[in-house]
Amino acid sequence: MNTSIARLAPDAPWVVIKFGGTSVSTRTRWDTIAEIAASHCANGKRVLIVVSALSGVTDLLKRLGETRDDFAQARQLRDTLVARHHALFDEMGLPKRNAIDAWMARLDQLLEDPRHSEARLSWQAELLALGELCSSTLGARYLNESRLDTLWLDARDFLRAEALPNQSEWGQWLSASVRFGHAPEIAAGLASRGDVFITQGFIARKDASDTAVLGRGGSDTSAAYFGALLNAEAVEIWTDVPGMFSANPRQVPDARLLVRLDYAEAQEIATTGAKVLHPRCIHPVRDARVPICIRDTNRPELPGTEIGWEARDPVPSVKAISSRKGLTLVSMETISMWQQVGFLADVFEAFKRHGLSVDLIGSAETNVTVSLDPSDNLLDSDVLARLCADLETCCRVKVIAPCAAITLVGRGMRSMLHRLSAVLAEFGALDVHLISQSSNNLNLTFVVDEGVVDALIPRLHALLIQADVMRVTDSRVFGTSWSELAQVQTTRRQPAWWRGQRERLLELAQEASPRYVYSLDQVRAQAQALKAIPAVDRWHYALKANPHAQILKAVHAEGFAFECVSWNEIAAVRNAIPDLQAERILFTPNFAPREEYRAALHAGVLVTLDALHPITEWGEDFAGRDIFLRVDLGVGRGHHDKVRTGGAQSKFGVALDEIAAFREHARRHGARIIGLHAHLGSGILDAAHWRSVHVQLASLAEQFNRIGILDIGGGLGVPSRPRDEPLDLVALASALAEVKQAYPQFQLWMEPGRFLVAEAGVLLARVTQTKRKGEVRYVGIDAGMNSLIRPALYEAWHEIVNLSRLGQVADELVQVVGPICETGDVLGGNRRLPVCREGDVILIAEAGAYGAVMASRYNLREPASEFCL
Amino acid sequence: MSLSDPRVASLFRFIRHEYAAGEARLVYAFDDGPELVETIRFLDAPALAPEREVAFAHALQLLHLIAGVSYYKAGVPPGIRIEGAGIDQQTARFMDALYLHGLGEFAYHNKLDLRERIRFPANRGASAAPATACGLPRRTLVPIGGGKDSLVSVELLKRAGDPATAVWIGNSALIQSCAERTDLPMLNIGRAISPLLFEYNRAGAWNGHIPVTAINSAILVLAALLYGFDAVAFSNERSASSATLEYDGIEVNHQWSKGWAFEMAFRAELHRRVATDLDYYSLLRPLSELAVAARFARSSHYDDVFSSCNRNFRILGPKPSDRWCGQCPKCHFVFLALAPFVPKPRLLKIFGRNLLDDPAQTAGFDALIEYRDHKPFECVGEGRESRAAMALLAKRAEWREDAIVERFNREILGQLDAQELDLPPLLTMTGGHHVPLPLVALLEAG
Repeated sequence: MNTSIARLAPDAPWVVIKFGGTSVSTRTRWDTIAEIAASHCANGKRVLIVVSALSGVTDLLKRLGETRDDFAQARQLRDTLVARHHALFDEMGLPKRNAIDAWMARLDQLLEDPRHSEARLSWQAELLALGELCSSTLGARYLNESRLDTLWLDARDFLRAEALPNQSEWGQWLSASVRFGHAPEIAAGLASRGDVFITQGFIARKDASDTAVLGRGGSDTSAAYFGALLNAEAVEIWTDVPGMFSANPRQVPDARLLVRLDYAEAQEIATTGAKVLHPRCIHPVRDARVPICIRDTNRPELPGTEIGWEARDPVPSVKAISSRKGLTLVSMETISMWQQVGFLADVFEAFKRHGLSVDLIGSAETNVTVSLDPSDNLLDSDVLARLCADLETCCRVKVIAPCAAITLVGRGMRSMLHRLSAVLAEFGALDVHLISQSSNNLNLTFVVDEGVVDALIPRLHALLIQADVMRVTDSRVFGTSWSELAQVQTTRRQPAWWRGQRERLLELAQEASPRYVYSLDQVRAQAQALKAIPAVDRWHYALKANPHAQILKAVHAEGFAFECVSWNEIAAVRNAIPDLQAERILFTPNFAPREEYRAALHAGVLVTLDALHPITEWGEDFAGRDIFLRVDLGVGRGHHDKVRTGGAQSKFGVALDEIAAFREHARRHGARIIGLHAHLGSGILDAAHWRSVHVQLASLAEQFNRIGILDIGGGLGVPSRPRDEPLDLVALASALAEVKQAYPQFQLWMEPGRFLVAEAGVLLARVTQTKRKGEVRYVGIDAGMNSLIRPALYEAWHEIVNLSRLGQVADELVQVVGPICETGDVLGGNRRLPVCREGDVILIAEAGAYGAVMASRYNLREPASEFCL
Repeated sequence: MSLSDPRVASLFRFIRHEYAAGEARLVYAFDDGPELVETIRFLDAPALAPEREVAFAHALQLLHLIAGVSYYKAGVPPGIRIEGAGIDQQTARFMDALYLHGLGEFAYHNKLDLRERIRFPANRGASAAPATACGLPRRTLVPIGGGKDSLVSVELLKRAGDPATAVWIGNSALIQSCAERTDLPMLNIGRAISPLLFEYNRAGAWNGHIPVTAINSAILVLAALLYGFDAVAFSNERSASSATLEYDGIEVNHQWSKGWAFEMAFRAELHRRVATDLDYYSLLRPLSELAVAARFARSSHYDDVFSSCNRNFRILGPKPSDRWCGQCPKCHFVFLALAPFVPKPRLLKIFGRNLLDDPAQTAGFDALIEYRDHKPFECVGEGRESRAAMALLAKRAEWREDAIVERFNREILGQLDAQELDLPPLLTMTGGHHVPLPLVALLEAG
């Protein structure tokens, strides 16, 4: 097949295109490869295709490499491998199987090889190389059959492995490095032979005739080596994702595509977590100044991420937040380190001796802590044990793992430190084992326990945007968000109801101001949306959000029961709805006095206990009663510290390790625990959260005899900023349905509050005065924190508009403040409004929950009155 | 429906058992209360071979008797009645022993004395025809539970070239993903407990641990006869035979039906009453838990799918915390048992956290080493295995600074008999077993 003719000019520029395992595993994918290669050709480029092994094949080969004398398993793996390649061969409809069968014969030879039973490294490398040799062979056949003249090249004829100083034997064979650099004679030689070439990623020649492999990310690295060798115009890494993102999109759906990065930033992001590109491949292209692009095979029209030389006039911005799991920290403690000449040298010598490369370093007077990246070597061998034994001779050593490094990446990190306070506050509650910042000013890394990372990253990403440290509005760097690209936005937000009621609202504000106005239609609409979730057997309205009698009647009419947290709330709901059955009320107080529990039990209301005290001290009150137990699952969630209701720092719920004691007391007093309750926080917009609470409660409840009900609380989030996405109720419904199917014996209850009423309420206020101080403009209104305390208390963000001038251009940057004598009496900071005048009506949106009910007479100012539409 | 409290019942009745079209139905009742029906579903069940019909009928009766324990324990009434032909003296005594010991932990927790209550009535007229061979093909059913033990068995059988099928009972995403990883043929058997049991629980039933391995053994015997297997290879190890504690003159062992006494008794009953050519054994019987852990450690093939955690993870997620709760005695024990044999980073990757560096887990590990506490009611190794593992870690540089190991070193180690802490003697094969000869050598080699 190597008889192609060159049609392009000898000096036509080269493009290296690389495809990974999934991209080479089906015929359709090979059609895509052919199209991409052909379109480059049509644009006058000479193309080198670099491919990985079929997906899963390298793992199979790796397992085969470990079989030693387990011949049965070796045989089985061998058969699977042969079947995989024959299946693709058949799918491709190729005429002759000799080429692929030749490699299969080589596989059989290797299995017979005496090196097999010892699993010699040279033998393993040769075995592993077969994956790419096979895929490229199949590919070459198919491309030629598809009328794209393609020359097959053995990568080992071009890439030579070179032992690095101190490189372990293992590394020299299975994680080899290659010397690279522009080789014009090779490029010219190839140019005379054809236009399209295909070769293997991952493999290289070692010594005269041996084979070495490049290890993890080897195919990307091969592509980069070839890019440098051919001095290519570009190296394109074709993958299944649109490019690199400001965070891992699986963790952070709001992550933004990074359209352009410089080499150093990309290397930092790749090194610190992004899997899309292996960091090793940056170095070769950077030295050769060859740009490298990440492109999406499924959507070639997207720009992808282009990595090139440093941009001019960079604006300092955090480009990405990434995390790397599986880190092992080695903490070495010694006394009077400063006196001990050569202590650090001894320490690092030990790491070197064991072939372990240190990544992050933190040091103090008596302690040095370093991090080790996850590696097969650490996982599969006793190297760490041997290292620690050696280190013990000069210090006390402690291994801390599994850890994760969270890294903020962006050029000019230090100039942004002062704006990171909200981000740093997040770390305050965690064990931070190490902080590191390098002098190249590109990164800031925190090492924490691995388990906290998945929940932490989305919060940090949002905080970085909020603090404007990640400047997502800079379109030269940031593209669209992952969720927009993935078009998961199934539930687009409707325009707010009040936009259609402007005249009426202006009238109402003229009558009285400040004034809360509630739309009962909106309350009903929200209630109906929830009722459409079939997995939930009973909905409760948590009336602490807004106990207005008409709202209570409206949700009652929609079939909601009620959740009350005080005796007065019970009285309020019974007052508003006199015929309400007592068992439709769930009483879930926190640190309430004994009388309230007694009164509730007497009234026939369902009572939830959330501490040991009531059952140990007042157990007889609960004798013969059905009760709910509120547990603390140990992790809090929510949009602000003050709305998190889980974790040891929160005063709610019985800790997991106290449940057994609680049961024992309940049993002693003859109280029957019929339901489990958990509520972990508010304002949560991620359906997976309730799935996880539901699963945890269900698996806990299985250990009880009588529990038939799981109450997974409320906290259903309501989006506030214009671009925030609403909670996906469809996703919520399917998450709950999945759990319910696994645990059909339990009824499921929920108790949202804010979700029902937040958007239904607006706070109307009138402009009292305006003021300008230096560059800062203030708009004063007659509603202050005594009417709406959420901005001051939770730093909540409420949309604010000038209702009198709705539709006018909002171009003045102002602080919207109230009349209370407190610096914190700011309803909205840095808002864009049209120029406001005294008497204008200002509307503060999403004020229906925790608005009027939290109001006070502070400064002896009457808070806003209430009105229902 | 509201049922009366089963604790006031005077009679537990084995009403009938039947099998049709791949479904076995086991029917029980308290007094004249509603029928409690348990169903076992054999998917794609072939027609029953005629030469196995008698054996199958006997096996079904045995299952009926054994599975009754789930319901019997709800009320523990003073009387037991078996409707129909009944059972002979030997079977009755086998059942007495199974119920008495299998419910030992249950009785301890509920402060019940079962010795006077459990008396299976024997019927002199019951058929005493001895079992015969039923021409079963050479194939092994290997039950898997998602934990390390059965996966060690699977790998042993694979290495021996034994034609094994991975089987599990009930719905479990975790077990299924383990089964898929074995690359063996798979068989899943459905089991539905009578929903009335849940009603009885609400009405005040006694509750507690039951000898589930006995029930599973009986189900698999039925499956072997139906699908044609001549061996059922469990993965119970030597440690399962040791008692958790002694109470009121009775040894209470959480794992009684995983122990050697049950294996011998069940096997004898099987060969006497069901089929002479159906082998029933535990492949790991001569091994300690630590020896099993050492064998498991040799391959990382199952690292990201297996779990021995006690919490019932019906829904799987990708994170270690979706498989390991990190709080229960099983998590504690498996962590400790693997630690001497698995590189630390790999172990921490499996669990997603370091249980030995978490002071909150101190009490849990204390119970394992029987320090100021008795061994937990769980399928965990013997106290001396845990002590030996801990003592080994106390010598290892990469472990000894971890909070719980460090405390062990400082506070506990000095009080222990140094000789007893030697690990190698715990790794040797000892004690009785029924492991087929061709497998013994492989087992020994690990």
